[in-house]
Amino acid sequence: MEEDKTNSENPLKVNRRHFFSQLSVGIGSLALGSLLIPDLFKGGPKPLAGQPLGIPHFAPKAKRVIYLFQSGAPSQLESFDYKPTLTKRMGEDLPESIRNGQRLTGMTAGQDKFPLMPSAAKFSQHGKSGAWVSEFFPHIAKISDEICIVRSMHTEAINHDPAITFFQTGSQQSGRPSMGSWMSYGLGSENQNLPSFVVLTSRGKGNSQGLYSKLWSSGFLDSKHQGVLLRSGKDPVLYLNDPDGISRSDKRHLLDHVSSLNKIHHVETGDDEIESRIAQYEMAYRMQMSVPDVMDIKKEPESIIKLYGEDSQVPGTYAANCLQARRLAENGVRFIQLYHQGWDQHGNLPNEMAGQAKDVDQASAALILDLKQRGMLEDTLVIWGGEFGRTNYCQGNFDLKNYGRDHHPRAFSIWMAGGGIKPGITYGETDEFGYNIVKNPVHINDFHATIMNNLGLDHEQLIYKYQGRRFRLTDVAGNVVNDILT
Amino acid sequence: MAQKNSSPWVDYVIFGLTVFLIFCLIFESFIDLPGLVAWLGRWHPLILHFPIVLLLMSAALGLFNRMVPKLLLTVATISALVTAITGFFLGNEAVPKGSLLLWHQWMGAGVAILAVLWYWVSTNHLQQTYLVKGIQVVLIILVGFTGHYGGMITHGEDFLALPKSKKLEKIPEDPLIYEHIVYRILDNNCIGCHNPNKKKGELLMTDISELVQGGESGPALVLGDPGKSELIRRLHLPVEDEEHMPPDGKKPLSENEIQILERWIAMGASDTLKLSHLDSNEPLAGMVKKMMDSGTKNSWSKLPKVADSTLQNLASDYVTIKRVASNSQALGISVYLPPEYDPKNITDLKRIANNIVELDLSGIPIGEKEMEFVAMCKNLEWLEVDRTPIKDAEFAKLSGLVHLRVLKAYETGIGDESVAVLKDLKNLNSLYVWETQLSDSGLSQLMEAVPNLYIDHGIDPELKTDFIEKDTIVDSIQ
Repeated sequence: MEEDKTNSENPLKVNRRHFFSQLSVGIGSLALGSLLIPDLFKGGPKPLAGQPLGIPHFAPKAKRVIYLFQSGAPSQLESFDYKPTLTKRMGEDLPESIRNGQRLTGMTAGQDKFPLMPSAAKFSQHGKSGAWVSEFFPHIAKISDEICIVRSMHTEAINHDPAITFFQTGSQQSGRPSMGSWMSYGLGSENQNLPSFVVLTSRGKGNSQGLYSKLWSSGFLDSKHQGVLLRSGKDPVLYLNDPDGISRSDKRHLLDHVSSLNKIHHVETGDDEIESRIAQYEMAYRMQMSVPDVMDIKKEPESIIKLYGEDSQVPGTYAANCLQARRLAENGVRFIQLYHQGWDQHGNLPNEMAGQAKDVDQASAALILDLKQRGMLEDTLVIWGGEFGRTNYCQGNFDLKNYGRDHHPRAFSIWMAGGGIKPGITYGETDEFGYNIVKNPVHINDFHATIMNNLGLDHEQLIYKYQGRRFRLTDVAGNVVNDILT
Repeated sequence: MAQKNSSPWVDYVIFGLTVFLIFCLIFESFIDLPGLVAWLGRWHPLILHFPIVLLLMSAALGLFNRMVPKLLLTVATISALVTAITGFFLGNEAVPKGSLLLWHQWMGAGVAILAVLWYWVSTNHLQQTYLVKGIQVVLIILVGFTGHYGGMITHGEDFLALPKSKKLEKIPEDPLIYEHIVYRILDNNCIGCHNPNKKKGELLMTDISELVQGGESGPALVLGDPGKSELIRRLHLPVEDEEHMPPDGKKPLSENEIQILERWIAMGASDTLKLSHLDSNEPLAGMVKKMMDSGTKNSWSKLPKVADSTLQNLASDYVTIKRVASNSQALGISVYLPPEYDPKNITDLKRIANNIVELDLSGIPIGEKEMEFVAMCKNLEWLEVDRTPIKDAEFAKLSGLVHLRVLKAYETGIGDESVAVLKDLKNLNSLYVWETQLSDSGLSQLMEAVPNLYIDHGIDPELKTDFIEKDTIVDSIQ
């Protein structure tokens, strides 16, 4: 009775008798297995889970990622995908042969016409690479030789929540670990005093969509891989500071005692989450010292503040977050996720998008320049982009000064820089309407596979078994886009 | 030790099987086995375990002067004969036979015939002679070798080789695409079963002409047309498919490996093509480089071994030590500023100095002691000493670090005296030295001496002014 109880409580605890009775079965099946599968005991790379965790599978090109997520989906047609045909054929109905049965959102499904709408922003070519960049992004245009513009991204989702969840977790349905959590799981932490996955958010004046903590959740992975949201202002991490009257040494004593109690409990139950908990207490204790130091922008010289724009002095802005991101990257945070909300221009696109662009243009470009001069582009991968594209036809009023565009999953543009990505190239192509991809499509799974590759991870090898099946960030798909690698 | 013969038909069975075996061996080239008989050959891997155990047991008993039970010897002999005959059937599927298989076949037949000889001697009451002892010794040796050769046929020739002797030959700087890349992929994944010894599906993969010639399913490779090549078709099948290669249970090829094979075939499957012949935009070049990178970096394979426990002992909350890649002895180390800094935090790493290829000391108040330690890291390729108080005197210690590729020394006190040190770092690719005492003339000297070096002297001043003076305004719209 007593013994049964211990066993049912502690699945990891095995007594001597159990061990031997199971051992015989084990050796027998090993022998049988070796007959049936001749390679069973052969050395060399194993097909699944053969890789130790916390170390890259192969020498990486990038050690960390800064992901500048433009939440709401900025229009590719007013940023990086120049389509003069839309100007020539302005107002004409989108040919059915081009739309080809693409499902629409409820917002434009009722429209009886889909008039082609050109870009309100003028385009010109920039840099030695001759990249097309719109006038909304004058600073990014100046660094076009440092970045790789991918104009052939595509996704399956047509609404914000599934689309952003797809980008962040590799699945349209929520519950899977975020990309940053996978990296933390696969590569471990570079600096034991800071979380390996950090999230910073900001909001523009444009029409915005919600952000939710599930986007940086660790899903079924150990909770220590979860993204930590750093807030602007006095308390970057809530409840991190000690209450008044508690000294640091008191805190130390408290933690030592709590930890010894937790260790006893761990010996009793063998539950690994207890070890995570102990580690998290210790991490929080060290973060009390490290976080205020990293977050203190006042240490930055005037010229750097100006480089990122005056906004960078205002906590909580995108510019401040970009500067923060660089400081976090310098301090060994693996995955720094920024979100800038407000890119959902169903109407009033020219004005709203100009405003949004103003928020992010200078700071994004400044981040690239700043990373470059610090030699950090050599091992930091920067990504800029939203969750899908926008339609080439007009939503709502047909007015070049005030039009809207609906969601478009079939083709959109993002850019990447540093960390093993070829600088100064434009990859992929859409048709003259900017609606379908005609060359080098890059699916979200391919995008994930490529990022993991540059971080030294084989996306097919980084797996986690949960609820009876093995999970990957790329699920069962994804090819590394070799053409854009250095 | 005379024993009563239990029944004469046992003798007849043994005699019959022996004759049949010898007949098979003599007329091997004239025999065309019917399907069902060939299928009997498949039982060879199952039955072979009996004679190994039974013969070894009998021979051991005999050698220790114990009585060998008649029944044991009988069963051992019959099983040896059956094993040899089924083995012959199985081996007949492979034509021509490789040297491994030939050795295995003749030694196996030898075992069976020796066993029969022993059986015959013992039924004729000649047990106690030295002849029997001789037979027993030879049997033990022969069983061992036959088994070993059989094992090499099924598991590959290096199955019993020590792990460290595994081929880790480095890919040359400018590899021949076929010989150093494609052949390596085939050798690692396919040739184990498609070689002169095994020849599964009648296919040999040991050279291009054999691939073009193909096997049971036609040509494995069609020059210039991966779509028509059986090899590529099978690689792309879902793993569950019967025809997928490598078969179930073996490691499938990586995506990159498949793409290399495909592209190489599409380009005509040349055996003289070299990496340097490829245009830099040619996708094959990227794939090949990736394969070269993913193998252990050449220069790193010679690094001394370092145990995980050593790394754990030396690491702390402020010193992160990581292997650059799994199974690599190369280490990357990052140091963060602890509340109370002591140079010992860094100098303690001396024990593993030779393994360090990347070292990040950014922002640490390092001085002479620490730089002396850095100088000991002879294999260093990546060094960050930016935002530190070092000056020329300390910087001079770096002069012996010839492997350095990346050096970050911005916001330090180094000046023109350091130019001489930098000139000698022949492998240096990029150097970051803004906000130092380096003068323009010093820098231009350096640029002349090392023309391929990328020197970052801060953001282009013109661009910087542009950013600093104008705030983003989209004039045309507002």
